[in-house]
Formats: sequence, structure tokens, C-alpha cells
Amino acid sequence: MEIQWSLVLFTALSGAGAWLVACAGLDAFRGLARKTVVPAVICGIALIIVGGIASATHLSHVDRIMAVLAHPAPGIFLEALLLGIDVVVAAAFLVLYKREASAGALKVLGVVAVAMAAIFSYSCGSSYMMASQLAWNTVALPLGYLGGAMASGTALWYVLCAVRREEAQALSFAALETLVGSVAALVTALVYGAASGVMGGDASVLFWLGVVICGGVAPLACAVTGLKKTEGALPLAVVAAAGALIGSVAYRVLMWTASVALMSLFGVGI
Amino acid sequence: MARNCIVVNLDRCTGCFGCEVACKMENGVALGERWSKVLTVGPVGEYPDMTRYALPTMCQQCENAPCVSVCPTGASYRDEDGVVLVDKEKCIGCKYCMMACPYGVRSWNAAEKCVEKCTLCGHLTSQDKLPACVKSCAAGARFYGDLDDPNSDASKELAKYDAAEIHTLQDVGNAPATRYIMTSMIGQWQERVEPKGHPHTAASPVAE
Repeated sequence: MEIQWSLVLFTALSGAGAWLVACAGLDAFRGLARKTVVPAVICGIALIIVGGIASATHLSHVDRIMAVLAHPAPGIFLEALLLGIDVVVAAAFLVLYKREASAGALKVLGVVAVAMAAIFSYSCGSSYMMASQLAWNTVALPLGYLGGAMASGTALWYVLCAVRREEAQALSFAALETLVGSVAALVTALVYGAASGVMGGDASVLFWLGVVICGGVAPLACAVTGLKKTEGALPLAVVAAAGALIGSVAYRVLMWTASVALMSLFGVGI
Repeated sequence: MARNCIVVNLDRCTGCFGCEVACKMENGVALGERWSKVLTVGPVGEYPDMTRYALPTMCQQCENAPCVSVCPTGASYRDEDGVVLVDKEKCIGCKYCMMACPYGVRSWNAAEKCVEKCTLCGHLTSQDKLPACVKSCAAGARFYGDLDDPNSDASKELAKYDAAEIHTLQDVGNAPATRYIMTSMIGQWQERVEPKGHPHTAASPVAE
């Protein structure tokens, strides 16, 4: 199948944005990175919206998009709904944070933001689970979507913390979050690679180099280093974020190039 | 609900491609696009136990049609006669239904930028006429009708054969309605086949 770049960018960008908001939400519990929360939420909302717009560019009749509301079905409708909810949650968190709302309210919205990031990034992948596509019809596929988005979002948070020159404790915690995200990306990618068979064959170079090394090992190495080395954290964070984003995009590209149709009797490319 | 579909008797089919041509002419299907396609499966096996047969393909009118359940706008739908159809005015061109179709028998209308497919010639059957592919079949190998109606042409043809001689394409939970009749006279039925590249018609079985 042809690579659907609109959809690749949609889930990679929106997923990263959702997890960036989640990291800001998580900070409501620790209060370590107060200079970073506002720009992170704004960047997160921007990424979610840009991703959403990217997804619409693959439609040939965007003018009919409102018909989606008349037919709430799994898949595209659910993705659009969750995307909208995530933006609302992020905007509400931002308003409450700016108005210095109670710690309890921020914590509640922080938990919701983390839950939404997980649900949204998983749902973006679960739409592709279908019996007609043999390499997609495994729960490992949406788990990989979740893992890649988690690594990208946490690494972007790490970058923003470094740019905003947060204290050592905040940078160390951001590195820990990046570590968790990159481990999730690495493990879920390996599980999908084994389940779908893309570890070997034509797609193996993209899988091992793009998804595993760039998307998992590189941010993991940066995060481990950054746990103790808080001086000069920015280069580490940038490398982690670049690797995670490349891995996230590579994983989604791999999904399209490695698809195996049950039957394609008309031989029509999608 | 009715289970209207096409039944193809492969013991009779000569692989003349007449159904494919009739479909294109009746429905104005553009050059390079198809709603119906005849594949030639095989030859497979070892002499003298070899199989080679023509396999006319089209929308299989699945009872649990994945194309209907994934469509975000309801453009892919099932009408009151149980026929899976596309309302092209609702199609946003996401191609999600094309990905979800287990058989890859949906077509992309490049001019209108939307998905389309076999309609079972509803404009003809609503006037008690036969679908173009059925009417034009020179070998009398195609039958149209409701599988739940014992008096339909499709049911009457199926009733002539043992269950072991009646086949469907591989069912992955979608329950295709279209039936293929093929006896051992022709060879061994292959439930999953793969064309050898578009637009060629040769196809080979896929080993599970």
C-alpha cells in the first residue's frame, strides 16, 4: 500500500502533542517545571490541531466531512471525537493554570490529560485493526502507536524544560519521563515487529534502524544520560526528541509499506 | 433481511470476460477501473491432478460487511433489500472501506474522487430485470437472487449441488453471501488467491 503521509503525520504529531499536554498535566503533582507548563500546553494544543488538519488533507471531499457527525462509528469518528476532547482538556488545564486554580483541580485535569493521551494515541492505531489487513490485525499495532507517541511527547517536554532552563530536579524528572516513554516505544515496537513479521524481510532496515534505534534506543540512551547529567541537557533532549519523532514516523510508514492484504483481487492501490 | 447476491457456477464458466465487459458498459465504469473482474486461477497441482479455473469476482455482499461498519459517514450502507451499496454523495474519499474490504473488490472513481462498487445492477433488478453480468453470461454460469428465497434463480442452482461443491472466498468473519459452485470435475477450490499484479488477470493460490 502507498504511504499515506497525511495519516502518518496526523497520528505522529497529534499523539506527540497529547503526550506533551500529559507531561504538563503530570507536573501538577510535582510542581517542578512551572516555567515550562504554559508553553508546553500551547505547543501540545498546536501539535494536536496541526495533526488533525493533516489528517483532513487525505480526504478527497473535505466539504462533506460534517456527514461524520451523522454516523458515529468506530475509527475516524472516534479519533476526531477524542482529538476534540483532548484539545478541550488541554485548554481547560491551561486556563485553570493561568488563573492559579486549586491544586486539586489541576491534579484532576492532569490525570485526565494523561488518560486522554493514552486513549487517544492507542485509538489512532486501533482504527487500523481489520481482518482484511493481516499485518495490522494485532493489538500490538495500536500499542506501538501509543508507545511512539509517548516517547515523542515526553522527549518534547524534556526539550522545553531544557529550553526554559528549569532546575536540575525538573530536568532529571523530565529525563525520567523520556526514559519511560522511550522504553514504551522500544518494547511496543519490538512486540509489533514480532507479531506482524516486519522484523525480517524487505521492511527490516526501516524497522531496526528507524523504529528501534532512532525511535527507542536513541531517546533511551539520552534519557539515561540525562537522569544524572543535568548540565547541558538541551542537546540530549533535542537528540531524544528527534530520534523519537523519527521513530514514530518510521513506525507509521512501516505500517503502510508492510501491509499484507488478505486478498486484493482488483489489485487497486490505496 | 434478503441475502441478494450472485451465484457463479464455475463448472460452466468459460472465462470469456463477458460479464466484466457487460458490467463496464452497463454502469459506465471508466477505463482502468472495474466493478467486476475475472481472474484465471492456476494452473496449480501436479499432473494429472491439476486445477485451473476462471474466477469471476465482484462485491461479495458480505452479511457482516466491514466496509459498512468502518465508513465514517454512512456512505457505505446496506439498503432495505440487504444490498451493500455506496452513496457517492456522502463519500469523503477516506478509502477506509477499501482497506477494510477483505477481497479488495472496491473501486476508486478517479473522476468523481470517491469509492464505488458493484451495485448488483439495482437499477435493473428493481424493474425485475437481471443484472447485466447475469444476462450477458454466454455460458449461463451466473445466477442472481435471494439465498433465503428457495424459488430464486440463485437458490435453485445451489440446490442442485452438494454442500461440499459450494464455496465462498475465505471468510474472516465477514460472511460473504456470494457462492461459487465448483465440483471435482474442474479441480480443487482455492479459497484465497492472489493476482499476479494489476491489471493482469492471472492469479495463484495463497498457501496458509
